Order: sequence, then structure tokens, then C-alpha cells
Amino acid sequence: MSQIVSMTINGEERELALEPYRSLLDTLRNEGGLTGTKKGCDVGDCGACTIIMNGKPVNSCLVLAVEAAGAMIETIEGLQLAPDKPHPLQEAFMRYGSAQCGFCTPGIIMMAKALLDENPNPTEDEVRFGIAGNICRCTGYTKIIEAILATAADLQRAKSA
Amino acid sequence: MTIHDKTFESKFAVVGRSVKRSDTLEKVTGTACYAGDVALPGMLHGKTKRSTVAHAIIKRIDVSKALALKGVKAVLTHENVPRVLHYGSPHPRSASVTRDQYILDNRVRYWGEGVAAVAAISEEIAEEALDLIEVEYEPLPAVFTIEDAMRDGAPVIHDNGLPQNQVLPPVIVERGDVEKGFADADFVIEGEYELGRPTPAYMEPNICVAQWDGNGKLTFWSSTQTAFMVRGALAEVLGIPLNKVRVLVDHMGGGFGAKQDLFQHEFLCALLARETNRPVRMEFTRKETFLGGRTRHPGRIWLKQGFRKDGTITAREAKVLFNSGAYGSHGPGVTNVGTAALTSLYRCENVRLEGRCIYTNAPIAGAFRGYGVVQTYYALDLQMDEAAEKLGFDPAEFKLKNAVREGDIAPSNHPIVGHGLEDCIRRGMEETGWPAVRRHGRDTGVKRRGWGIGCEMHGSSAYPGIKEQGNAIVKMNEDGTVTLLTGTAGLGTGAHTALSQIVAEELGVPFETISVVQGDTDVVPWDIGAFASHTTYMGGRAAQIAAADVRRQVLAHAAPQLGATPEELTIRDGVIVVEGSNRSMTLAEAVAPQRGMPAIQLVGVGTYTPTKSYSFAAHFVEVEVDTETGEIRVLQVIPVHEIGKVIHPIAAQGQIEGGIQQGIGHTLSEDYVIDHQTGRSLNAGFVDYKMPLSMDMPPIRTIILETAPDPGGPYGAKGVGEDPIIAIGPAIANAVYDAIGVRFRRYPITPEHVLAALRTKKQEVA
Amino acid sequence: MKRFEYHEPASLEEASRLLAELGATAQVLAGGTDLLVEIREHLRPVTHVVNIKRIPGLRDFACDDAQGLRVGALITAREVETSPQVARLFPNLVSAVGQLGSIQVRNRATVVGNICRASPSADTLPPLIADGARLSVFNGNGERSIALEEFFTGPGRTVLRPGEIVTGISVPPPGAHSGRAYIKHGRRKAMELATVGVAVTLEREAGHCREIRIALGAVAPTPIRAREAEALLRGEAFTPERVAAVAEAAMTESTPISNVRASAEYRREMVGVLTRRAITLAMEAIQ
Repeated sequence: MSQIVSMTINGEERELALEPYRSLLDTLRNEGGLTGTKKGCDVGDCGACTIIMNGKPVNSCLVLAVEAAGAMIETIEGLQLAPDKPHPLQEAFMRYGSAQCGFCTPGIIMMAKALLDENPNPTEDEVRFGIAGNICRCTGYTKIIEAILATAADLQRAKSA
Repeated sequence: MTIHDKTFESKFAVVGRSVKRSDTLEKVTGTACYAGDVALPGMLHGKTKRSTVAHAIIKRIDVSKALALKGVKAVLTHENVPRVLHYGSPHPRSASVTRDQYILDNRVRYWGEGVAAVAAISEEIAEEALDLIEVEYEPLPAVFTIEDAMRDGAPVIHDNGLPQNQVLPPVIVERGDVEKGFADADFVIEGEYELGRPTPAYMEPNICVAQWDGNGKLTFWSSTQTAFMVRGALAEVLGIPLNKVRVLVDHMGGGFGAKQDLFQHEFLCALLARETNRPVRMEFTRKETFLGGRTRHPGRIWLKQGFRKDGTITAREAKVLFNSGAYGSHGPGVTNVGTAALTSLYRCENVRLEGRCIYTNAPIAGAFRGYGVVQTYYALDLQMDEAAEKLGFDPAEFKLKNAVREGDIAPSNHPIVGHGLEDCIRRGMEETGWPAVRRHGRDTGVKRRGWGIGCEMHGSSAYPGIKEQGNAIVKMNEDGTVTLLTGTAGLGTGAHTALSQIVAEELGVPFETISVVQGDTDVVPWDIGAFASHTTYMGGRAAQIAAADVRRQVLAHAAPQLGATPEELTIRDGVIVVEGSNRSMTLAEAVAPQRGMPAIQLVGVGTYTPTKSYSFAAHFVEVEVDTETGEIRVLQVIPVHEIGKVIHPIAAQGQIEGGIQQGIGHTLSEDYVIDHQTGRSLNAGFVDYKMPLSMDMPPIRTIILETAPDPGGPYGAKGVGEDPIIAIGPAIANAVYDAIGVRFRRYPITPEHVLAALRTKKQEVA
Repeated sequence: MKRFEYHEPASLEEASRLLAELGATAQVLAGGTDLLVEIREHLRPVTHVVNIKRIPGLRDFACDDAQGLRVGALITAREVETSPQVARLFPNLVSAVGQLGSIQVRNRATVVGNICRASPSADTLPPLIADGARLSVFNGNGERSIALEEFFTGPGRTVLRPGEIVTGISVPPPGAHSGRAYIKHGRRKAMELATVGVAVTLEREAGHCREIRIALGAVAPTPIRAREAEALLRGEAFTPERVAAVAEAAMTESTPISNVRASAEYRREMVGVLTRRAITLAMEAIQ
């Protein structure tokens, strides 16, 4: 039986009618109309569906949508600071060529955001550890790690300035 | 982590600069539309039922219970789909592919093959319906290895008239006199090389959406590298004209060659949509992406070479055996390209090569980045490393001495342009401090390090196997902005950006004034697809030709306005200048509609039919081997590539770094494994199919040279897509030898292989 | 995913009653990172999902020198991984939970869930067994306590009876002069299921081994203690020869299988190598 569940998605309160066996991933993509979050494996192995739920990065494929009742959800669509102002991570991913096919990109950017929220000044090893659950098959990770480290440095500089 | 080589300083305004890619804003903001993001009103969800046996006749298939399930709208089996034999991989009538597939057959040839499809109002219901379909199989004997399939009395998997389950007649390549070459040799070496079964494992599972309109026209969204081939095959199999099929591909989440094929679900999706008169989406699960996907050809290569004492190669003989799996797919192309590649890389006048491709009841092997050459150059480069040692040469010096040179005849039977391979080897030796970095197995601790070098060359375009063609249309709008229409797919390589850069350069306008229309077969010019490292080389050249056409038209239009001849005009940064004068006008002024007059029509068309160019690489790799656990870690990679004129340095580096990741994978850990009793897949998922991830990947210091530009490519550009995955494997295997003194003639090299070999070595020493 | 019915009981009693009534195809959802995968991949027939997240009292989380560690059923792997107190007293457990899936998974997965899944390769099991952990189990009326090493009966199988729910796990405080280590062996550095996991907890006294517990993962149908190996070192000096003999004994005690991840022979050999390395690491970790 479908039930009405309310949650806050990218700052907007939403009421969604859902079946209890639907994942948060499918719900965001279908009922929510937010297709930026990707389905790469649907079993928690690839990280393409990473979103931030109540401040923590999670695989939205491994969360039942009904469990998100009352939760604060952040997805890639909510990251931009303004319509014409991408988040610094998004800027860096463009500048460093960190997105190739782009399918893993939203998940990695959300993971990177959560990582920098928790640890604003990570080492390269900490970044590698942080995104270990995000598979990228195009880049060899080199340019992704460059972009995350550069963003951290920029944000640190901006804070001390 | 990346060296931006100084050679990137250039006379060009746009080409050679890492402009902001035109496709990335959508990707980083989540607005890029992939086929799976398409949702249509009333859309149904399709699912495929897959076989649980490797080889059988379907005796009975009963769908009544599935049809009775509430929410199920249609079920297809071999009994109610058109029975049309088709090219699983649809390059039109090309010698590279085989016509041996039906949409659904009354026979299954591998474990996991689709036997039925369901459309239902939800994915869950479709999935439940699959379980309600009853299939009764009459088992046939199944074979999984090349040896078993070639044996007398083996089951015939496709009745194509060839013995021993061969997909195509043997590929024979002969040059010079191989007997004489071996007679002239002071030293002969031979070896057999075993090849595992890596799979592309692109991040976006195969997916398509089909919708028919009231006029019998099919609109089809698919994650494919070859939109026009999909259109052609759908039209042929469904029996409708090409103008009744529109294929749309906006963004796609990687293909690496495999998404050149047409997959069963693409036909089934179109048929389910027609049957139900509703849009249908069919999406592979990750598991299905393994089961129903394509792999690199596993197999075996026997290689023998003769050498003079001075290191000259006198003869080369090889027998290449590829396991095609249940269908031919790209088997003919891969066998031809992989086998013929052994004529080159290291110079040898006397060559006899034989390539065979064999049907088995294993998963389907198809096109995958490196297309047969990954396999044959692995064998060749490893044997060169071994021969160098036996003859007392440093391996890098030895490879340099034998490296293919300008004017040598390439596998495509064209003369090589430039000294690319030599330049790569020399530069890598300088960069690493070779040969001083080598360890020669002198480490004695538990963990031992070593350095290795691996080399490759690879052609841009599939010529001569496929006569290719790149097309482009460039339109200048009446405000001076430019629209490029291209059929090439955006796999994620940055191709559309590179093409736009080329158009901007040719027209003399800023990069930002170019916009790209792509991914719609009703609108863009015909395109063969994005593969064979040819997009920048061939599609870029076509775009350049089209842009030059527009430039000519613009200058002819502007010349009278500036009181000059077209020959006196140049366009720089969007301004038309009369050379040697101070007269100028902006493009916008030149092409703007005049009072009371319509805008002029400025359309350029470019068609380019390439032959082939070759790119080169030498990879230098440091590894560490744990002699107690057998684990091999790649500590650093220094790839040196020569790819002609680089259009977008960061995108080119990205290709190299990503290719290295996949190459490290297939050399050390990636192997798609089936049970040899049942044909059942054993690791169809990301947990057990071991791709190197962020913590496994070493630092990569990419060096790109531009020393051998090819006159066939735009501004001398050549391909880079496939090269990096070829050189990394032999570099790793050779580095492992440098670390522990054991040569592995196989990939993947697993910890168990390492321990077993170290044990054998210890016994031999004792 | 197959359709199922969903329940959110408000109390342990209600959850226990539901589970008992609904039978074997009703499953507890805590983190869900295993359960949802099992449903999706058809590894387990599930018709009812009983989410225990609304039940109060399952979020105990305490760690100190006096009481040791207490982890309630809803505490996530990530909470344990990032706790400085756990890192100080049980670095072996932190190492194990830090290698369980990804951060995204660990933000959902619970330590107790990892235990109840009863996978022979589960990362948390060897260190917890080596440290003598016990489970609190609610059985409808009250609680019973079960030693973790007696909890498992086979792959995916435990001694839990219908309607029983594990409410938490407790680990006694580390002994004086004790050290502990966990080594996971896999093909990659992350996102792995252990091909072999070895945990060693030991106590040193005057250059001798006063006490040692060796727990092995992924080399038997359940995680096991290598008791014969332990006995060889208990009361003895840590000589290289003695440690080598311990490692040899641990190999003999393991009964691994061959599968796509590794052969039985390789797993057994790794038990030897890793037991030796884990003993060394545990020695080095003694304060």
C-alpha cells in the first residue's frame, strides 16, 4: 500500500506517495523528478547514487524511501549556490577535467562535499579513502582527486582571507 | 600529478588549449540527460528473462502465468518476435562483424542469454512476472574453452559451414620469408601467453526507452556509441524504413567499445512498445550488464621470434586464438586487427601470423578498447623483454633499437609517419633515470620493487577493416555564432569540445561562439559511431572541412563590404581583417541581415574518408611485490604518449589516465569468470569483478609528445582513446620480472600465480 | 526489487511478536545495507520487513577503560569507526569497521547488523571475538546474553530463535599490557569482502605471552577461534620460531573453501602469513 511520506529535499518540503519497497534512489529519480542521482549498480557497490541524508553521505539505493520520512536530503541538484553559480566543487570538476562520461560525477561530488564538510583540509590519502566507495571507470581518479584537493585549498584560502 | 609538457605552447588560438568542456556543466550539476533519465507518460517497464543453462533447445516456454499477473501488459518469446538473422554489431555489412543472432531464438547458447521479455506497469511486477515464465530446456552439450570447442565431435554452436566452431576462416598475414628468417637467426625464443576475460564495466548499465507515435514512427533513446547503426539495425529487423526510426543519444555513461553492439533488449524494448502501444523502458541491472554485456576476447597466443646476436629480429611467427563466446559480435574485426598488429611495433621483415576466433558457450566477447591489440602486444612486448635479457640488452634499449620507424609499413599497409615510438621510449628513459632505476631482482626483503617498460602503437580509425566516414555540418548564424552538427556520440571523452575547438580554430572565432547539435539521427549528418580512436581524427577533420567551407563563404560575402578580395582577408577572434591594412569588421557585422534583406545562408558540409594514422606510447611502471602474499601493487606510472597535435590537453590526459586504470585492472585483478561445468557466471558484480578503485590507483605522471603529427588528422591530430590500455599491461608484467625474477606469460597475474611461481623458482634454485 | 510488506514496530515486544508471527520470511531491517541487497538479488525470500529504527533504547554507545565497549543495535559502523574512545581502546575494531564497504555504507550499516548477517567473512567478527564480545538478545520477555563466538552455526545462520532480536553488543575493557590487531586480506584496499581476516588480541607479562586469542574470518563456515594455535603461545616467550609454529597451527585449524575470490590453499597459506603479521602488530600495539 502506498503511503504519503514527507521529507525535505534540497531545502524544499516534499510530500511523496510511495510504495514501502521503493528505494530512496528510485523515489528521487521518479517521484521526485531529480534524475541527477544515478543508478550504477543498485546494491551499494558503486556510489553513483550518493546523496547526503541528515548531513551524512549514503547510498540512496540502500535506503528505503519510507525511512527518509522527516529527513533532510541533499542531492546534486541542490548543490549550486545560485542558478548561475556552481558550487566550488562543481567548478573544480569542470576546471580539472574530472568528469568524463559524467555518470559517477554527481555521486562523487556529493561524497566530496560530505568529505570536505567533515574534514576541510584532507590529505591526498584521506581523499582516496573518502571516495573509495565511488567507482569511476573513465578517469583513473587522478583528476578527481586533484579537483577535490584544489577545492579544499581554495575554501581554506577563502576562509583565512 | 600531471606534467603539462612545454610542447603545448603553440601558434593556435583555440586548438591545443584546455578550454572549458562544453558538456561538463550539465554533468557536474546533474542536469545532463542520459537515456535512463527519460520518463514518458504511461511508460511501462521491461525486463528480460535469462537462461539458466549454457546450451539448450527451448522445448517449451509457457507465459500464461506471467500474462495473468496483474499489471503485466505483454510478454515476448521466440514464438512471437520476428525471426530475422542480424548482425549483433551493426557496422553495415562490414567484415568486422558476424550475422548470427536472432532477437530471441528457440535455442540458447550461453548462460544468461535472454529467452523472454516482459513489459509491466512497474519494475517490481515485471520482475515478478519473469519468475512466472516457465521454460523447459532440452540440454545440449556445452563447451567453454577454445580447446573443447575445436575438438572433433564438439557441439556445433552456429552452423556457418566452417569446421571447429570457427567464427571466420583463419586470418593469415604473411610478409617476407619466415623460414629464411628463422634460418638466419642466432637465437630463437617462443612462448605461449594466456589471456583472461576483462569486461568494460562502464558505469551506466545498458538502457533504452522506446516510443511509437501514431504514424508508425519509433523514437528510441539508447545508451549507445553508434546511434546510426542502432537506427539501421532496428529498421532492418523491424522491417521499417530509416525515416521511421529516430535514435536519440544525448549523454551516455561510458561504453569503451562494447556499446557498439546492439543488445537483445534494444530490439525487445521496441517490440514491447509496439505491442502495448505505450512507451517502454528497459534497463539492465548491474548483474545483467555483466551477463548480457560484452567482454574482451580471452584466449591464447603462441609467439616465436628469431634474433641476430646484434638484437635484430629476423623472423616472427604467431598463432592467435580468441574465444568468441556464444556469438561472433566483433570477433572477425578483433581477430584481424589483433593478428595484423603483430606485423609491427617492433620491426621484422619476415612474418607469418595466423588468427582464429572460436565460438564457445561462454559470454559474448565483443569490441573493447584495444580491440585485439591489447592481447597480441601483451605477448609481443613480454617476449621482447625476455629476448632482450637473453641477448644481453637492456629492455628499453632493445625496444628502442627495434622500434617501428618512419616509413615502415604499418599493419594497415600504410607507411608509418614520424618517429613516435622512439621518441616515447627515449623520453621515458630520461624521465625515469633509466636504466639506473631497474632492480634486476636484487631486493631481498619480503616486499620487492621493480621497474618495467611496455610499448604499443595503435591506429586511429578501423581502416582497412571498415571503410569509415566522418561527416559534419557547420552553420553560421546571422549574429556570427556557429552551430556544429555532428553525429558522433558523446561517450565522455570530450569529443564535442574537441570538434568545437577545431571549428573555432578554422573559422577564427572564439570557442564560446560554437554550439553543438548532436545525438539525434533525424537531424545530424550520418555517422558511423564513436569507436576506434577515430573521433577527433576523423570527425574532427570532417568538422574542419565543413568549417573551412563556411569560412570561404563568409569571406566571399565580406570581401566586397571591405573593398578587398577574399584572399586578402583573415578572421581573427571573430574579426575579419584585411591583411596589411587597418580595415576590419566583425563577423557579426559581415553576416548580419541588411535592411530589408533576409539573412544569408552559410552552411558548410564536410565529409572525410580517412585511411589510418598511428599513435604511440611507452609506459614506465614501478611495482612492489609482497613475496609472502603474492600481492602486486603498482606504485607509479609514467606514460609517455605521442598522439600528434593535441587538441585538448586535459581531455587527452584523462583518456590516458583512465586507460591505465582499466589496464592495471586487467593485468592484475579483473577477470570475468564462468564455471566450466555449467557456464554460470561467478562474479557478475562490482564486489567480485575487481576493478582498481581510488585507493588502489597509483599516481600517474602523464607526458604527451607531439612529435609525429599525422597529415590525415585535423592540425595533425591523431587518436588516443585506446593506446593507454595497451602499453600498461606489458609494463607491469615486465616490472614484476624486474622485482622478483619471474616471468608471467598471462593476465591477470594474481597473488596465487605469484606465490606458485616463487615456490617453483625456489625449488629450481634448490 | 520484489514487493514486500513493511512494519515499523514501536517496541521490542511488538517487533518480537511480529517476527515470531510472520515467520522466516520476515526480516529485521536496521541499516538495511545487507538486507536490501539480498532482497534485490533474490538471495533471500523476504515478504515482510520489520524496521526496528523507531524502537527506543537501541542506541547505547559507550566506551571507557572501566566498562569497555557497549554498542546498541542501531549504532552504525561509521559511528564506531570515528569514535576516538573506540580508536584508543579497540583499534582492531576501528580498523575492521573502517574496511566494511564504503563510508556511504558505513553511515547506514550497523555493527550489530554486520554480526547478525553471520557472514563468515564479516569484518567486525574476528576482532570482536578476539576481544571476548557478548551479545544481548531480547527474546520476547527478557534478555539473554550469548558469547559472540558461540553465536554462529553456519553461513548466514545463528542461534537466534524466532522472535529474538539482538539489542546490542558489549566488549570487556582491554586487559593491562594488552595489544590487538586485525588484518583483512582482499584484492583491493577497499570495497572488499575479506578473503581472509585475522584478529589477534594478546597480553604480555614479563616478556611472555600471558593470554592470546586468535580469531579467523572467511576460512570456515563461521568465524573461528584458533585455539590450538593460541595454546602454543600462551605462557611462552615471543620467539620467531614460536610465532611461526603458532601461524602453522592456525593454518591447520582453518577449513577454507575455494571460490572465485581465492582457492582454499591460498586462504590457508594467508592464515599463516597474516597470523604471524597480526601477532607482530598486536605486540607493537601494547602500550
